Amino acid sequence: MSENDFFALAPLLLLSGSAVLIMLLIVAKLSHRIIQISSLFLFFISFLSLFYIQKILPYNVGTLLVVDGFGVFIVGLVIFSGLVVNILSYIYFEEKEEGPREYYVLLFLCTLGASVLALSQHFVSLFLGLEILTVGLYALIAYLRGRNHSIEAGIKYLVLAAFSSAFLLFGMALIYLETGTMVFLQMIPESTKSLSPLFYAGLGMMLVGVGFKLAVVPFHMWTADVYQGAPAPVTAFIATASKGGVLAVLFRFFIAIDGFKFSSVMFVLACIAAASMIFGNLLALRQRNLKRILAYSSVAHMGYLLVAFVPGSLMSLQAVCFYLFAYFATTLAAFGVVILMSGKNDDAEDIDEYRALFWRHPGQACMLSFAMLSLAGIPLTAGFTGKFYILATAVQSGYWPLAVILALSSVIGLFYYLRVITAMFAGNSNSVPEVKEKHVFFFRAGMLALSVLAAMIIWLGIYPEDVISFIRLIAF
Amino acid sequence: MDIAFYITAAVTLISTVMVITRHNPVHALLYLVISLLSLAMIFFLLGAAFAALLEIIIYAGAIMVLFIFVIMLLNLGEETAAQEKKWLKASVWTGPAIMAGILLFEFYYLISSSDAVLYNEPNIGPRPVALSLFREYLIGVELAAMLLMAAVVGAAHIGRHKKVVLHRFLKEKEMS
Repeated sequence: MSENDFFALAPLLLLSGSAVLIMLLIVAKLSHRIIQISSLFLFFISFLSLFYIQKILPYNVGTLLVVDGFGVFIVGLVIFSGLVVNILSYIYFEEKEEGPREYYVLLFLCTLGASVLALSQHFVSLFLGLEILTVGLYALIAYLRGRNHSIEAGIKYLVLAAFSSAFLLFGMALIYLETGTMVFLQMIPESTKSLSPLFYAGLGMMLVGVGFKLAVVPFHMWTADVYQGAPAPVTAFIATASKGGVLAVLFRFFIAIDGFKFSSVMFVLACIAAASMIFGNLLALRQRNLKRILAYSSVAHMGYLLVAFVPGSLMSLQAVCFYLFAYFATTLAAFGVVILMSGKNDDAEDIDEYRALFWRHPGQACMLSFAMLSLAGIPLTAGFTGKFYILATAVQSGYWPLAVILALSSVIGLFYYLRVITAMFAGNSNSVPEVKEKHVFFFRAGMLALSVLAAMIIWLGIYPEDVISFIRLIAF
Repeated sequence: MDIAFYITAAVTLISTVMVITRHNPVHALLYLVISLLSLAMIFFLLGAAFAALLEIIIYAGAIMVLFIFVIMLLNLGEETAAQEKKWLKASVWTGPAIMAGILLFEFYYLISSSDAVLYNEPNIGPRPVALSLFREYLIGVELAAMLLMAAVVGAAHIGRHKKVVLHRFLKEKEMS
């Protein structure tokens, strides 16, 4: 490893070093507050280091990792999501019965795993990154281990994720058998028309493994239960960072093997996208639990992202980057409100708990409304611009059926997003008097983070040119 | 030597099925040892003698000993202690013993005959493995360290006990 290698890997090294450092702080028996603030500081440094390494991009670190503009953008999103989750975690875990300290170590490790995924160009780093992420998530999901829902969600995730990892590994083994290499760029199939059966089988099994992690439709069974059972900050992390990392590595793999030219593979992906959009939105219709609504809505949103993915043009990379940015900001804002609303014993899940929220907490109600409008894709929010970008990508390459399904399923989606909003504004204004917040500093910090996210949603909706030109600059 | 492969593969499959169908964890462990040993045998047949040795040392050796320690330390109580005495029944150990015997016989036959391996790949020793691990895949090794750290921290949190639990040997000593 040369000096430049260390320089290019600075974000990953900082993240793993932070995990070790936080563990040492835990050994020193420091308070939750000190550990929270220092981990916030370390997340911030890791985020800043991404700007510092800009000048040497793109850079290959050995054969395992590649640090390029696209990867750094996704790593930036992942670390940002970790940062926001970290800010909001103090209030959530301070009240709970479990000691919250190991949580921060695991959060750093999960962020590291997702970042490795986004930068990997080799099966070894793909699998290791995915496993770091998943093993960390097993413990995070079951973190409140005295609660039945958490344990159930943890076991469910453990079994299904291990199963999907087995599929992924077997797929990798088949592709390795066929091509004799594990580097993405060296496994370009020779014939341009069709693939060998072994390669097809391997690719199919890898898609099963990746599909589980992304929770697209035939593999979405775990989503709602895990989202509901996991602590709300962890749910926010699963919904954003873990899916972003996996989608990035899927994109990198398909670009490297030029998989977009094989119509049968793309047909399967298009079917998965259509099914995710339709079923995700339909399943969310009857839910009364906000976390489950967001779970099914994330299934639908992964479908939208696959619509941008399928054409495989230069524009689809930009559309995926932009939509991921919008989706991260929106989802973090929505879960942020859920975290701030949650009490000592239960998460604020039921939609009835949000009744007349506007008259009690106008700030939080506004932010949740922005997030819901953006998820629904109402103009002047980030979600609208993102969907517009995706539609433009699909239509430009002639994928009309997907575009039509996207538009129609968004209409279905409007119903349940708007139901959350109507619940918040319903009811009488002279309801429960304001309860004093206990952790004023961290509550204000959380509200500040949420306001920044809400401002981002609006900014991306009204004036997206800056971000779009930035994405064009870094993605090739 | 095709027949040797099929025999070993059959032993692997049968023992693995037995692992997941046993009710008693220690019985399952006996079959798991056989399953790992026969996997090592398959590696040996493919001409990867070093991989076969690693399989035996790491899986059948270190990890199995860890498993057995964990099961001992789990402190399962009086009824399991009584059960331990019944474990040396013939019906429990004949199955694994027969399969281990098959593998041993096969191994003896293969090393005494000249055409031992299916493929004549260049023999890869410890040196190239170590070099590729700590040069080309150095980042992979470091990432595996982080993976283990995540697993250990997670397991330590999930498995933490608040109250003090004494091992049954210590309890008996206290009572007497």
